[in-house]
Amino acid sequence: MSNSNAGETVVVVREVCKEFRRDQLTIPVLSGINLQLSEGDYLALMGPSGSGKTTLLNLIAGLDRPTAGDVIVCGQNLGQSSEGELAKWRSRHVGFIFQMYNLIPVLTAYENVELPLTLTSLSRRQRDDHVKAALEVVGLQDRMDHYPRQLSGGQEQRVAIARAIVTDPTLLVADEPTGDLDAKSAGEILELLHRLNTEFRKTIVMVTHDPNAAARARRILHLEKGLLVSEVVSSRAKESVQ
Amino acid sequence: MKTFKYIWRNIRRNPIRSLLTILSVGFSLALMTVLYGFLASQETWKNGAAQANRIVVMNIQGFSGALPISAVDDVRATQSVAAAVPFAWFGGSYQDEQMPFAQFATDPNSVFDVWPEYSIPPGELTAFKTNRQGCVLDRRIAARRGWKVGDRVQLKGAIYPFDLDLEISGIFDSPKNTDSLYFHWNYLNEGLKQQSYPNIDNAGTIFARISSSDSIPTVIKSIDDKFGSSDTPTRSQTEAAFAQMFVDMLGNVQVLIRNIGLAVVFSLSLVTANSMAMAIRERVTEIAVLKAIGFPRSRVLFMVLGEACTISMLGGFLGVGMGCLFLQGMNRLLPQFFPFTVMEMLGPWISYGLIAAALLGLISGIVPAIRAAQMSVIDGLRRIA
Ligand SMILES: Nc1ncnc2c1ncn2[C@@H]1O[C@H](COP(=O)(O)OP(=O)(O)O)[C@@H](O)[C@H]1O
Ligand SMILES: [Mg+2]
Repeated sequence: MSNSNAGETVVVVREVCKEFRRDQLTIPVLSGINLQLSEGDYLALMGPSGSGKTTLLNLIAGLDRPTAGDVIVCGQNLGQSSEGELAKWRSRHVGFIFQMYNLIPVLTAYENVELPLTLTSLSRRQRDDHVKAALEVVGLQDRMDHYPRQLSGGQEQRVAIARAIVTDPTLLVADEPTGDLDAKSAGEILELLHRLNTEFRKTIVMVTHDPNAAARARRILHLEKGLLVSEVVSSRAKESVQ
Repeated sequence: MKTFKYIWRNIRRNPIRSLLTILSVGFSLALMTVLYGFLASQETWKNGAAQANRIVVMNIQGFSGALPISAVDDVRATQSVAAAVPFAWFGGSYQDEQMPFAQFATDPNSVFDVWPEYSIPPGELTAFKTNRQGCVLDRRIAARRGWKVGDRVQLKGAIYPFDLDLEISGIFDSPKNTDSLYFHWNYLNEGLKQQSYPNIDNAGTIFARISSSDSIPTVIKSIDDKFGSSDTPTRSQTEAAFAQMFVDMLGNVQVLIRNIGLAVVFSLSLVTANSMAMAIRERVTEIAVLKAIGFPRSRVLFMVLGEACTISMLGGFLGVGMGCLFLQGMNRLLPQFFPFTVMEMLGPWISYGLIAAALLGLISGIVPAIRAAQMSVIDGLRRIA
């Protein structure tokens, strides 16, 4: 499928409910969520802790399946896909950015970024080109032989972003990507996400507690007790209209 | 390959634990290799004996029974017998060594006709034949002890009340380590006569070489028939059957040894399984990240299994190597129990340790591997927060 058509719908969330079962208990987490994202959208998900932000993000990223309703991302109905199909689909279409960076400690920055490419049929040369290009985007090509423990938090997160974009996915999901960073590093990460959204036209869904971070997105959604309560068009989107 | 590099890095992540696991696999499989090597040495002895057209004649009561020396000539007179010698175990000690090497009282005129595969310089053989107190010995003994022709060797009798004062007349070469010294039967017998020892003129056992393997059954039958009605009925058998008799005495030990081998592998699988399970538990989040990125279950399974197998195979190579070195050392130090070098008894047994290691890797890795492969991604990621 092609992403060249601007404004193409990337994410459709339709009447989605999600509940977890623990022993005899059923915990309803999301109820009746509707949401649509087009290519190049940048959504910030906000809301109190435990409101279901991560759960919704996981559904959109194909890590989990809804109890009811449809999640259709990049044309694939995720609720009806097998686990194996989802794994393959994620490797092609989604880049992951986590709060704790989650780099593999025994692999260098270069090898961490290369990891998703080992699932492709690319040659070693092609992989090398992709890895270096991704590291260049995040400005860390001079650190590629460093191990995660030799990098600062901000640098680790930039390597994680390089790993997320190296396969050139349509969708980037970020769960509190600046939650563990100081203000300066957080600023750099947000700047990077902004560039990925504007320059590379990545569709981004970001969970955040930080209003400043949310303000960089084009749209802001608030979750409260499993319901989407309000949609705010961010100041940035207003600016771009003006 | 990329995956293997990752597996290797994971092994080195906790080097102490990996090393301890490798060593415990290694030492146990070394033990197993030594035990199986011991069994293999008996097989090799048996097989070697089967190729020589030799028979062993002994008293029907076994080793403890005697055979008159005159029986040697009766055996020699039998159709198809090429050569025959008395062969009596002396079992003396050298200085304070209880069992320094094997010593046999035999007939110097025929002993190298019964064992034509041994070679000795003709001059040394003549010297042996003509010197009543002469002896010949395996070159390996001479080399080990730094003995040379002309040296004297005193052996103190343990079974017999007579001490030997021998001069080395010659040194012989044999395809396999005999760890033996041969001396004149007459020298011993006359010495015993002087001590008024009751059981004189005893040949012990008789070894005979038969001119062709086809006639062995006939020879055995005619010898046993000949002595059947005498005071000393005999039991004759091929050297192979003789060897088999020794092996059979260890029959239950063999079963025991095999079972010990299996028990070792089983208990080891618990050790390695535990260390694998620990390694995986520490990496729950990481595995969840790999799966989020899109690693299929099969690849996660393969990585964990590969790690377990690599560790146990490293232990396997280490163990088989150590076991072989040990067997090689025993062959030099205690050749009467380990008469063959590892090369001389090569066979499938050498790979048992490696096969056990591979099985060990699979058995100990499979449960953690399946667990890792089936682990829920979202639960794994949730462990972070
Ligand atoms: N795998 C799970 N099993 C049971 N309960 C879960 C699971 N995942 C999330 N929950 C529950 O769902 C609710 C929402 O969780 P989450 O989506 O992580 O919230 P947020 O990210 O907004 O803090 C919480 O009450 C949490 O305990
Ligand atoms: Mg969350």
